[in-house]
Amino acid sequence: MARGKSPGAEPKKRRSLGKLKTHSEDGVDLTLIRWMLSLTPAERLQVLQQSVQSLLRLRDGNAKR
Amino acid sequence: MAMPSVDYLAILKTLRRHGVDFVIVGGVCAVLHGAPIATFDLDVVHSREPNNLARLMAALEELDARYRIPGRREKRPGPSHLASAGHQLLMTRFGPLDLLGTIGKGRDYGQLLDETIELEIGGGLKVRVSTLESLVKTKEETGQEKDRAVLPVLRQVLEQKSKS
Repeated sequence: MARGKSPGAEPKKRRSLGKLKTHSEDGVDLTLIRWMLSLTPAERLQVLQQSVQSLLRLRDGNAKR
Repeated sequence: MAMPSVDYLAILKTLRRHGVDFVIVGGVCAVLHGAPIATFDLDVVHSREPNNLARLMAALEELDARYRIPGRREKRPGPSHLASAGHQLLMTRFGPLDLLGTIGKGRDYGQLLDETIELEIGGGLKVRVSTLESLVKTKEETGQEKDRAVLPVLRQVLEQKSKS
């Protein structure tokens, strides 16, 4: 006899994942917001500083070409 | 203009070490509340009380703060500049710092205080930041294109926070 979940289990899981929208109606990425909200303010500041430094490095590297 | 290594935390530590009274607003404030946006300058509204201006001047000296406006790049801000309601756009040894006498519809440090919270941002450093609701209000008041552009993100952060 094949083992498996009851026929109703998988659709229920998909429905619950489907409730978590990835974007708002006006196109804002909600996955990034949820990730940022999972961090402390100190960690959010670190993310910002690293992002800015990374962008500046990319800009400087491009300018040298 | 050469861009120094950006270190918002170092600027904020210097301001706090000198006992400067200020509120963080703008993009860094939005990030501290959880908005996934990038910003290159640190916006703060400072108290324009004479004693605070003296402390701010000492902090700016340590930060080697100078104007980043063409033609004024070697000029340092003076007490009269900091006492005005205007915006002083500076470059420091740790990156850009905008000192704002007032924001939105002329709201100053004293008027903003009721709409702030204190956050710990690393190394035990606590700073005062605008509430997210106040930040949204300010950006709506300003009505500039760049401010309107970030409003959908800020509103979604508010909505997601209300759900958690």
